[in-house]
Parts: sequence; C-alpha cells; structure tokens
Amino acid sequence: MTPEELLQQALSIDPPWRVVEVRDNLGRNQIDVWIGRGSGRGGWFFGGRPAAPETHPLAWRHINIGQARCLVHAPPEAADDDLPWSGSAEQPFTRALSRQIAELFREGVRFQTVCTMLDIAVADLWRFKHGLDHGLAGLSGAPLPAAIADEDAADVPAAESPVWRMLLDGAIDIDIRMLGLKLLLTKLREQMRLITDDEVRLLKTHELRRYFVRYERQLGHELAQLKRF
Amino acid sequence: MSTQHGMMSVADAAALIKRGYSLCVAGDESALRRLPAGNWIGGTTPYFMGERGGLISRDAVHATVVAEHGGRPRLRFYDAASLPQLCRNAPDHGYSILILPAFSDCHLGFARNAPNYEEMYLKPLVGWIAGGHLDDPSRTPPLVALGSSGEFSATRAVVMDVPLPPEKLARIDIINPFQPGDGACITFADTGFTAGDCRIDGRRGNLAEHLLATDADTRLPLIADYCGAPVNVSIRNIDRAAGLVEFYAPVFPGLTYRQAAPAGDRLAALRAALPPPDADISFACNCILNFLYLGLEGKGGGGLTGPVGFGEIGYQLLNQTLVYLSVGE
Repeated sequence: MTPEELLQQALSIDPPWRVVEVRDNLGRNQIDVWIGRGSGRGGWFFGGRPAAPETHPLAWRHINIGQARCLVHAPPEAADDDLPWSGSAEQPFTRALSRQIAELFREGVRFQTVCTMLDIAVADLWRFKHGLDHGLAGLSGAPLPAAIADEDAADVPAAESPVWRMLLDGAIDIDIRMLGLKLLLTKLREQMRLITDDEVRLLKTHELRRYFVRYERQLGHELAQLKRF
Repeated sequence: MSTQHGMMSVADAAALIKRGYSLCVAGDESALRRLPAGNWIGGTTPYFMGERGGLISRDAVHATVVAEHGGRPRLRFYDAASLPQLCRNAPDHGYSILILPAFSDCHLGFARNAPNYEEMYLKPLVGWIAGGHLDDPSRTPPLVALGSSGEFSATRAVVMDVPLPPEKLARIDIINPFQPGDGACITFADTGFTAGDCRIDGRRGNLAEHLLATDADTRLPLIADYCGAPVNVSIRNIDRAAGLVEFYAPVFPGLTYRQAAPAGDRLAALRAALPPPDADISFACNCILNFLYLGLEGKGGGGLTGPVGFGEIGYQLLNQTLVYLSVGE
C-alpha cells in the first residue's frame, strides 16, 4: 500500500476522489494533503509537482494525524458534497473536525482546552463557533454520540427531554428568578432563531441544560415548572 | 458574616488596606491615589450612594470590604484583547467584580461582546463603569486602579476574582425603576451604540425621526424584556442632522424595545424594590443617570451604598439600573 493509499483509507477519501500529493514541509508539525478527482491525466492535480492551478483550491483544517496538524486542499466543488474531509467554503474546518469539536463543546470542554487539545488557533475556533451561533454553519451528517449522563443532576430533565427545545424555541415559558438564567435564555433563544441545523440546535440545548445542572440547588422553582411539561 | 461597606475617609480605607483586607474602592482620582498598595481595586467617580442618600464628594471614598469566604481574591488588569477571557479565568465557584474606564476600548468591547464571552452567565459578574465629575472642565479621563501594583489605567479593565466555598452562592439582582411604556415596538437589525434605521411596529422607520416626532423624553430609556428581566438602553443624544440616536449601551438585534413609561414615581419604585436593610450585600452600584434624573443627591438611602457609575455591570452592561450582589447559602 502506498502512503497516499494509506492516507486515503485513514482520511475516508473514497473514489472518485484520491490523494494526489502529500507534503510535510509547509508548516512545523503539519501534513498537507491535496485531493483530486480522476485517473491520473494532466492538469494541476495530477502528475508530479503541480503547475499553475486551473481553479484555486480550498483548504480546511482536518482531524489531526497523530500529533501533526492535517490540512486538506481540494477543488471548490468538494465543498458542495457532504464529505467528511471537506467543509463549506466559508468555514475553517472539515466536517469531520467540526463534529469532533462540537462533541467536545457539548461535553462542556472549555474553548481554550479545545484549542490546546487539538492544536487549533483561537481565531479559527472563534470563526467556527460564530458560524454555528449565527446559523451560518452546520454539523449535517451522522448524529453526535449520546452525551454522558449527569449522575448528580437527578432533578434536571435528561438531555433528550423535549422540554429543553420547547423552552429554547419559546413554546413554553417559565417564571425565572435567577438573572443569569434570564439573560442566558434570551441569548440562546435569539441564536436558536437563526440556527436551522438540528445538531447545532442540539448543542444549544446542552448549553442550557449545563446551566441547570450547575445551579440545580438554586433552581428548584424553575425545575418544578419544567417537570409539568 | 456581614459585609463591611460604606463611605469613609481615605485614611480609614488606607487603614483597612494596611490591615490586609481586600477592598473594592470608588472615589475621585485624587483620593484613590492617596491609598497605599494592597489587595484592592478601584475606579474613579465622585458620585455615591451613601448611608443618607446620594452624595458627591472628591475627598471621601466608598469602600466595600470583600469577604474572604473561600480564599484571597485575585486581582489583575485586562486589556481589550484579553478581556473576553474574563469569565473563563474567573473562579469555578465565586464571583468577579469588574471596573471599566468609560469610553475605553475595553468598555465598548465589553458592551458589544460580553454576552458571547466564554462562560458568560455561568459565573456571577458585577461591576461598574468608572467616570468623572460631569462639571470637570479638564475632562480628566476615567481611571481604574490595581491596588496591588499601584497602577492606574485609562485603557484597561481591572478585575477582582473572589473565590467562594462550595456551600455559598453569589446571586446578582437588579432594580430597574422603569417599566416599558405603551409606545411603539422597536427592533434593530444590527448591534450598535448608534441607530438610525429600524423597524417601528414592524414597519421601516428612523428612530431619531420617531423620537423627535413623538416629542419623546430622552431621559426615558428603551427597555427590552430578557425573559422577565427588563434591561435598559439609555439615550445619550439625538443627532437630528445625521438621523441617528446615540446610546450609553448597545442595542441588539432579535430584541423588541419600547421606551419606558413616563408616568410613575420612579424613586418610590426603586426604594420599594430595595432588599431588606439586614440583607448581606457584598456589592452594589447605581447609575449616574438615576442620580441625575431622579434627583438622588440627598435622597435614596435604604441601606444600600456604593458607587454611582457611568454604566453598571450585572453580567452584561446595564443602564439606569441598580445592581447588587449578595452571598448566601
């Protein structure tokens, strides 16, 4: 198996797409992978050292290969397909990396910790999160794995409970006594108004639930109302 | 443990600092500069809520002794680039006091972006916007102070992070003496400290023209309903020529604003909503616009003392609102 074939397998690159070039000298601790279509005839993506590109490729940060960053370069049409190794044209990450990050956010991993764990630039992560929060990016694809249950939050409805979505969509209202929750819910409701992606909306329900878990002791009045739904 | 706070002389505040207490101090710059180095933060204002009501003083200071339930509070500066890390850096269990110099990049950035700071609303955050005497012809810039180093800054924010033991909780409450009126519902497409074009009762319009045409009292803020919390945006100026309204806090899209109702005894409303005199209040502040518009000099009282700032912080920037924090079980 050639290194390119190994990478194709590892990065889930299926025909008609293939790895056409790999370089490890463009950045410290970084592997750049060029992906193209076809069977090896001429053009920028084929043959040895590339000539002038026919179309300007897009680049996305992908899931790390070991300790190295992986950047995927592909023609713009790769953005249109629902491929795990590409992303939308405006976003910095591939769909696979986006889902990995979303899962970490959902588990409450802090922003800076995500940057450190995955060796991601803070600016790129902010751009990604801004896109999620404003409905400009999604997580379409396989559903996120189930969240780990909070054993100590017995009185807080489970993450799957429809009450969270109802509260966020404004389908139900409760009397809230804590100022922080009033302000947080207002912010999340405005974000939900803009977000159409089901999995990003799910992230928001987890964000709201995390507040209730953190302040379960003080939110008896609010939790009692949620139990009615 | 009851929190010590109130108006005092510089000498008395200095004595508390030298005895090792952690303080949050408000006062005129000349008063703050006479304080010794120690575990305190400060901000400039000559306006206060004193024990007998509102007062103006360039000599006295207001000091809150920050109770050390769970350990020594930590102090630091933030600049505009690092301020978004404010809540992430705050103690997992505790609260933070933030003071920002009025009209600094930190102030403006906080106003616009605080709702989206990482961990915002998860960790209690109170504070105020430092200002100066409104009649000061030299227009000395507002300042904050980091007592541990003795540094003053017109551009950075200063924060005191106060840890609490697990059995204690910091709770923030606000008192808004205004209620939404029956006037037009106003929405904005963008976040901003200024607004021109907007939607008025669903139709395209211009806010400046609308306020002028309705002879609106600009002392009355716009109010948005945050899930039951009325949050004000105070009107700073109407620029008729430019067709713009300037505010003391930004308006945000996705919220519906109404100008406050003109009627009612707002001073009485504020007094009626004060916590009981025996409540253990660890921090409180009020707004310069309440001080001026409600004529609070010599009035008010009610046991709640603190600085009168040029904006208040109850998680995010607030206007014409009294903010207080209590620590309980």
